[in-house]
Amino acid sequence: MNSLARSRRLQPYLFLTPYLLGALLLVALPAGVSFLIAFTRYSGMGRPVFVGWQNFQWVKTDLLFWVALINSLLYILMAVPLRLLGALGLALLYSRPTRATGLYRAAVYLPTVIPDTAYALVWTWILNPFYGPLNPALRTLGLPAPSWLAESAWALPAIVLASLFQIGEGFVVLLAGLRHIPRETYDAARVDGANRWQTFTAITLPLLSPWLILLSVRDVVLSFQSTFTPAYIMTRGGPYYATYFTPLHIYETALDGMHFGEAAAVMLLVFIVTILLVVLLYNLAEGWGFDED
Amino acid sequence: MKISRLPKTLASLALTGLFILPLFWMVSASLRQPGLPPPRGIEWVPSPLVFSNYTRIFDILPFGRYVVNSAITSGIGVALTLVTASLAGFGMSLLGKRARLRLLLLSAALQMIPVTALWLTRFLLLAWIGQTNSRLALVAPAIMGSSPLFILLFYWTFRRVDPAVVESAKLDGASLLQIWWKIALPLARPALMAVGMLSFLFYWNDFISPLLYLRSQTLYTLPVGLLQLQEMDRTNWPLLMAASVVMTLPAVGVFAALQRSLLWWDE
Amino acid sequence: MKTRTILIAIIAFASILTACQPANGGGISFMVFGDPAELAVYQTLVAAFEQAHPDLPVELIHVPGQADYRNRLAADMVAGTPADVVLINYRHYAAFAQSGALEPLGPYLAKSSLIQESDFYIEAVEPFKWLDELICIPQNISSLVVYYNKDLFDQAGLPYPADDWTWDDFLAAARSLTQDLDHDGRTDQFGVGIEASLIRLAPFVWQAGGEVVDYDANPSTLTIDSTKAIQAAEFFFSLQTVHHVAPGLDEETAEDSESRFINGRTAMFFNSRRGVPTYRESAAFDWDVAPLPRGETRAGILHADAYCLPGASKHKDAAWTFIEFANSVEGQTIVAASGRTVPSLISVANSPAFLDPSAKPANSRVFLDTIPYIHALPVHFNWIEIEDIASEELWRGFYGQTDPLDALQRAIQRTRVYFTENE
Repeated sequence: MNSLARSRRLQPYLFLTPYLLGALLLVALPAGVSFLIAFTRYSGMGRPVFVGWQNFQWVKTDLLFWVALINSLLYILMAVPLRLLGALGLALLYSRPTRATGLYRAAVYLPTVIPDTAYALVWTWILNPFYGPLNPALRTLGLPAPSWLAESAWALPAIVLASLFQIGEGFVVLLAGLRHIPRETYDAARVDGANRWQTFTAITLPLLSPWLILLSVRDVVLSFQSTFTPAYIMTRGGPYYATYFTPLHIYETALDGMHFGEAAAVMLLVFIVTILLVVLLYNLAEGWGFDED
Repeated sequence: MKISRLPKTLASLALTGLFILPLFWMVSASLRQPGLPPPRGIEWVPSPLVFSNYTRIFDILPFGRYVVNSAITSGIGVALTLVTASLAGFGMSLLGKRARLRLLLLSAALQMIPVTALWLTRFLLLAWIGQTNSRLALVAPAIMGSSPLFILLFYWTFRRVDPAVVESAKLDGASLLQIWWKIALPLARPALMAVGMLSFLFYWNDFISPLLYLRSQTLYTLPVGLLQLQEMDRTNWPLLMAASVVMTLPAVGVFAALQRSLLWWDE
Repeated sequence: MKTRTILIAIIAFASILTACQPANGGGISFMVFGDPAELAVYQTLVAAFEQAHPDLPVELIHVPGQADYRNRLAADMVAGTPADVVLINYRHYAAFAQSGALEPLGPYLAKSSLIQESDFYIEAVEPFKWLDELICIPQNISSLVVYYNKDLFDQAGLPYPADDWTWDDFLAAARSLTQDLDHDGRTDQFGVGIEASLIRLAPFVWQAGGEVVDYDANPSTLTIDSTKAIQAAEFFFSLQTVHHVAPGLDEETAEDSESRFINGRTAMFFNSRRGVPTYRESAAFDWDVAPLPRGETRAGILHADAYCLPGASKHKDAAWTFIEFANSVEGQTIVAASGRTVPSLISVANSPAFLDPSAKPANSRVFLDTIPYIHALPVHFNWIEIEDIASEELWRGFYGQTDPLDALQRAIQRTRVYFTENE
């Protein structure tokens, strides 16, 4: 009886084995190897040679690394808040289920469904200065119509613009968050005489803040990889490094230059920067702790 | 009442139109004849309207094969993900509070690691065991449920299951596996559909993995197929758009079929 | 009980589908780059080989873009699973040679009964010698030429380029050929299409009497800021910035110069022999090639790629059989007939397969006449990065985002560290 009970207690862990094993093999192990290789010179062929801090010293003086990092940070600064605002606004707009909301919600999620490569290609078309539909539309509105992906100043904003349409995940999370706010809270506020803005700032926003923080953190982390496909397909990092993001830098350092050691060093730095950003975000929001939700 | 709704309805319709635009332009451009000079102003419907781009993509590349490969890879990925993620989520829901908290923290931490920091060393590891250029390399994440988010989705669903049901099933002599299969999963249909859809998109869209791993053209999936096409004819927009449409339609189809489970999650 | 069976069945099924790999029944794999028309050339070659050697099937792997091809090759080398036969340019093979990733083909060539080293142009072979050992077998001795649209020249009433035409002649022709046909303020037809990169600028630098690096054999820096080199760069950049005979950035983004040439909207296009199969197939107008216009002196730039055998290949003898075939008189004749190469075998280069005037370009002799004046770029293990970085700076200069001297100096300064960085 005792051994049966014990095996019963252990069985849930058995169910967790693929997950935990996978996490070990696919996350912990590569992370560990990254850490080790960052201190070696390794061309991928041949054997790694220990070189201590040399890779990090190289990275410190490597102009391309800083350009890539700054570009990634600029992207985060522009894209993350805008995407969050967009997702929030749309979630608020479509939070009440009506007959038409089904269609509206599906429309909002639709661009998110388009595969990354196809999405990058269609935006290359839309942003094309002569063939694409965006510039003629801007011109009729009297707005400036730059050459987007061909201009150093506009290429990064162009990629940010494209990312603004793919806010499906944030949208869904915030819909769920809004759903969790009990109606009674709203009713009580209305009884107290609160107007819509007050309701929003005093009730909705605070109750949504765990979700908002979760989304910002997730978006920041994702930004370090989600820029790879657009940069690779649309501009290959150009024009003149305007869209040269960190994941592309890592990829080219390793496979163009055959410098796996340096690439690993950059990967480690990316990881550290990500942690710093997450900590910063938590501090900004005055530390909302983890809870069951 | 209805009149005050008008601005909101108009805004909603405008937004809907806006979000449909990318897909619309993809289709519209795919019907354009290649090689023509730029249009004057916005050309909503191209004239002349041609369908030849769609046949051409199958002529210059084994595009049909790429579609099949993408389908197989996504199929395997989804099947494995549903199994591993639901098992993990179920297991997690049965544990005590401390263990659950630790696992939640672990999942949150895993979510925090940018994949960029793992690509290349995953590649090296797979290279060291000689498993690059294989489908295994593409579906490897499915072993761990593809994403901690999916585990959490199942976990939240199973937490809602009345523990009494599980207890009585145990007393009836059912093994946990049977409970998982016969009781928990049927109750988790929305989660199954949501994770099914999200994981399908995860594998269907995956660009970096086939780019890094695949050498044999017989294994190529659509994302790298699209890249190949772009490299062959970089400014032949209609051709590239046609290929994009072919790649996007199944994703949109899966979305259309399963979107209710995701967008109406809590209803 | 049944549950477990179902679970196992799912996992087993998934594993089977996953493990199903393409079988490679005792043959070899051959990785190529280029347009579909170029691919067709290699398909013809492979078909001929398979007829002669039915027991050696060849799997063709096609990676269209050159940069993608290099990344794919690098990834495969790291994974230990490169194709058995690969094509590498002389400017790009050094990193692999230095790591010992390539099997030197010199010994195989010495034992061959079909071909020997003296059958090849020495200018094509020398760059592929690393530490005095021949690593790869060059398939061509191509160089940069000017493709021109004869119909557009006729329409403008201009004579076709002469063999000894100069920079000034070239510029004058380009200006006459740049036209706004429908008078809407936008140029519809450009005189010139040329890529803003180091390998396109280099011949101009040599023609002006300048040098690209300090010592070819052991370069330590780019030297493109000498007075003569500046003259060359100023002329090169002025094609776009001053005379506007080449498309500006907007126009190039909308439609790249090569497509523009193929669609008949650009009169002259600078390219190596690589373009011929595509132009034969897609250009609807009459065209030919002219030598590079001359500066102070004549100079051409070597474009050569070669068949290489990765050391990790498990089918070295079979791979060599294919490489030998591809570079035999028979193999090179097949490839030459499709227009893709300027054959590196002297006999084939001087045969009708290459020189036949009824196959475009009629003036193929131009490629052979350039050979005595050909310069090769240095072979250096970091050359890819040096070229990429320098080209980025030259790109800015070409599109007027900075003045020529600044572009050149930045190119030199940013690439300096890569000459000595030992990785």
